[in-house]
Parts: sequence; structure tokens; C-alpha cells
Amino acid sequence: MNDIKLLIVDDVEDNRLILKAICRKIEGFEIREACDGIEALESVEEWHPHIILMDVMMPRLDGFEASKIIKKRYPETVIMAVTAVMDPHMEANMAQIGVGAYIHKPIDKELIRFKLKNFGDFIRSKGGDYKKLSPKKALNPFCSDVRNFKTIFEIGDAEAMMDFGMWILTQCENKIVASCYRVDSSIELLYELMRQGTRDNRSMSIIIEESFEEIFVTMKFAEAIPSHPRVAMLLEDLGENSIVQDNIACIRIRISDETKVQKAAVAPVQKPAEEAVLQSLMQHEIPKSGMVENTPDVIKEKRVIDTEEKEMLRQSFVHKTAAIDYVRDIGGDVLDEIRDLESLDEEWGEKLRIFDSEPTVENLRDFADGVLGIYVRGINNLFEFTALAYALSSLGTFLKEHADLVTQDRAKIKTLVMLLEHLGLDLVSWREHIFALQDTADIHYLDSSFFSSCMQIEGIIGNKELDVDDDNDMEFF
Amino acid sequence: MAKRVIIVDDSRAVIATAELALDQMISSGVIEFKSYLNPAELLSALQAGSENFDLLISDVNMPQMNGLDLARSIKMDDRYKTKPIIILTTESSEQMKMAGKEIGVTGWMVKPFSDDKLVKSLKMVLGV
Repeated sequence: MNDIKLLIVDDVEDNRLILKAICRKIEGFEIREACDGIEALESVEEWHPHIILMDVMMPRLDGFEASKIIKKRYPETVIMAVTAVMDPHMEANMAQIGVGAYIHKPIDKELIRFKLKNFGDFIRSKGGDYKKLSPKKALNPFCSDVRNFKTIFEIGDAEAMMDFGMWILTQCENKIVASCYRVDSSIELLYELMRQGTRDNRSMSIIIEESFEEIFVTMKFAEAIPSHPRVAMLLEDLGENSIVQDNIACIRIRISDETKVQKAAVAPVQKPAEEAVLQSLMQHEIPKSGMVENTPDVIKEKRVIDTEEKEMLRQSFVHKTAAIDYVRDIGGDVLDEIRDLESLDEEWGEKLRIFDSEPTVENLRDFADGVLGIYVRGINNLFEFTALAYALSSLGTFLKEHADLVTQDRAKIKTLVMLLEHLGLDLVSWREHIFALQDTADIHYLDSSFFSSCMQIEGIIGNKELDVDDDNDMEFF
Repeated sequence: MAKRVIIVDDSRAVIATAELALDQMISSGVIEFKSYLNPAELLSALQAGSENFDLLISDVNMPQMNGLDLARSIKMDDRYKTKPIIILTTESSEQMKMAGKEIGVTGWMVKPFSDDKLVKSLKMVLGV
């Protein structure tokens, strides 16, 4: 039964078609379209959609103005803004009028389906009556003004850890990672805690809440978290942005630069309330309805990658799929993704040339976001190559974080440009062997090599001798 | 005389990083460095006698030919059977290493490699 009414508003017909094609795959959604803000208002009056995917830039009446009117008349309507422009001011303005989510173009199909399904489940669980979560329902002790959806991950094995890692990094990437605040330490802490929490085949839960400026990660473990020196160090580093007590850990990740973004009513940390909130957390039962499985996607930042993680990445290539079988079995829209990746080749070369002739921090970041970031998103849409995406995203974040260092050293700039050119050509050849020639017996033949190359590049550019820290890494017979 | 080191890897980035690691040995004339992206091309050049090496560094997972198959073919040729081959790969399973050992490869290095270890291995194997 199609019980959730979804309205797609965009002035470009092709965009509507794409969104429609994506959303059609979610069960229980009835979809209608509108081509600008005026038509959207008419449809809202007549049809009362539950959810609206709203383009922002449109003629006649733009998405912001239309949303303002709709939210005033029908505050229960869920509006998700869809835009190519990542403007923190616009996000803050949208937040003020109650727009509950933001989807960035190019559209990440899985992410959009994931969020819509979440909303749909939530609306159903409320009997079709959608209400904003009351502040009391915010789990984290940092901020009560969270958006009205939560994301839950059940972490029981290395693969789930990877998926969560991908997801959280995507969130950071989608929200201007260049201005991320201490994402390094936060991600490393999350990783360490997940390792602790999944030891001896135990599982754990992660609940994500979001405001427009922050992500709040609440981790619930099966047992109290044992003390661990690295965890203790990271906790100290994060200061008031992390709280660990018994079997609960809460981490606050700021995703935008506070000096640039209009403050959207984010409460400061309330130390006295911590204990009470944590108490309630410990008794909190994780709801199953309204929550969906994770969505692996984009970008990771720089951190030490240890043997355990390398093994994890290597293990994922155990099953071998021949390129010819893979291409035969995949759908047509996956091949569209490949064409999108092909169209990035020129951009790859061009942005590198620009950085080479004008080696500024901005130009390097432009390459990392405008080329690597988009490439990673495309690869993620192929589903099979998360490790490859992980490697490239790691490199992208590394470059952004080390842009200052790199751009001060002419020799390093030359080396980096050379290595990135080679990496770009490797990707071209990877696509060719898998999708055009289809001549490789294992579609993952280059995944781990890419991962390794990205680490080597990070080592060379970061002036670090790679300490592989593996007794197994060299053997003579 | 400079020792001829050949690396075969389908990844240009791997070749470039190896060349950077060996930069000093190359510029000081201790080794000469040649790379191949396609193992089949190297094998034909070797079989035709138009290529030769003092040390071969080979990847394993390449689309046209597996590095271990390449090593096996080379080792079957009398002209090259005593020449050292080092495998440089992300594969680290004991099973794969045993296969390499049986074929007669000299050593096994796991990517990502440390520059230092690569240089030391080369020096050791080449006796330079």
C-alpha cells in the first residue's frame, strides 16, 4: 500500500525524473511532481504530501520561500532541501524555518533512499501524524535541539564498523569537511571505541543525532568500556566534546565553522545535566522501528591505519568475481555511474594542472572536493568497491588537512601532482579492465593496491616513513 | 656497473612510489630502473632476448597475467632461472607465499612498503 505521499519539486525535468527513479524503489511511497514553488504550494493544498523533496533555486517561487509558506501552514510536513549549493547560511536559514534535512547534489541515491525510508517509517510509527521529536527525546547530553530523525547502527563485526565509518565520513564530507573541527580525533576515538565494543564477538549500538552544525554520536556497549590508553588520550584531546561513562559514550562532532555560520540555537554543554542524561541513556531501549540499515559512502580523514584495519580491507576481497560476470549482472543505472566517472577524467587532469601552476590551499582542496570527492561518491554508487572508495576518500581528506604543509614546498607539490596524475591514470585503466574490456578474473584486483598507493602517497607527502608494523611484511625464502 | 632492476605492476602509482623510494640508488648509478605495466609485454621481451634484469620486482594481481604465473614462466627459462624475483603485493596469505616459494621467488614484500625496507631488500639481494 502506498501510504506515504512524496512530492518532488524541481524546475528541471531531468532532475525530477532522476529523483523519481530513485524514490520509486522505496516501498510504500506515492510520488507526485511540481516544477516550481507555486506548483508545490498548489499540490500541498490539494494533496497534503507527507514529505517534500524541495529544490532550492527555482523560478517564480524558490524552494526557501515555498518551504517557509508550507511549514507555516502545515508544520508537520517534512521538507528535505535538495541543492547543489553547499551554503551554510542557507542551511541555517532552512533550519530556522524547520526544514528537516538537506540532500546535496550530485544526489547520493542510497543516502536519499535511506533518509526517506527513515522518514516514512517514522511517519507510519506515528500513525501518519508527523511531529518533531520533543527535546526530551534527544539522547545526547550536548544538545537538545536535534533534527527529527535518528540513525541507528548495530555494530557486530568489522564490516559493520567499516560501513559506519564510511557513513560518518560521508556526513562530514557532505558538510564541508574543510572546516571540520577535530574530526581526526573524533573519528579515531569512534574507531577505537568500536574496536573495544566488538571484542569477543560482542555487539554494540550507535545512535546518531544531528543538528545543522553538529553530529552527536551515542554509543551503547554491552558492557562497561574498559580503560584503554589510546582512548584515554583521545578523550583528553576532545575535552568537553566527549563523555564516556560506564557502557555509554557520547561524542559531539562539529561539522561547520562557528565563526562563519549563524548559530542555530545550539545549547552549550551542560555539565550538571550530564549525569542525569547518561543515566537515562543507560536505561534507554533502542527503538527498532523507524530506523534503517546503514548507508556506506564517502570520505574519511587521515589517521594511522594499523595492521588490523589493513587485514580488514584485505579480507573483503576474498570472494572473486570476474569482470564479465559482474558487468552482466549489474543494472543499467550502474553503467551510467561509470559514464559519470569517465566524464571526471578531464576534470582530474584540469584541476591538477591548475594546482600545479597555482599551488594554493584552495586549489588543492578544490581537487580533493571537486574531483576526488565526486569520484568517491560515484564509486560508492557501484556498491562493490567500498574499499576503493575508502582509500580515495582517505586520500582526499588527507590532502585537505595537509594542504598548508604541501603548498609550502615546491618539490612536494611536483611530487604530489605526479603521483596524483598516476593515480588518475590507474583509475582510468581500472575502469577499462572491469567495464570496457571486462578481462580481469577478479573485479577487486586493484582495490588493495589502490589502498596501498593512497597510503604511500600520504606517507610521501606527510614526510612519514610508512611504519607498516607488520612482522609479515617482508620475507625471504 | 649499474644493476638492472625491473618492476612490473599494473599500477602507475605503485611504480612511481617505488621509483621515488629508490631515487638515491638510481641517481647514484647503483641501479638502473625500468618499469612495465603489462606483465605479458615483459615476458615477451624477456623471451625475445630484448630485455634482461638483475632483479625483478613483480606485483601479483594484474589483469593480463598473475605475477606468480609470470615468475613461473621466467623461472622455467634457463637464461633467467637463477635471477632473483621479489614479489611486491598486497597479498599476504601464507598460501600465496608458499606458492611463490615453490616457484622459486627470492622474497615476498607486502604493500604498502616502507621505503627503507625496499632499499634494504634490494641492497641485500643485489649485494650492493
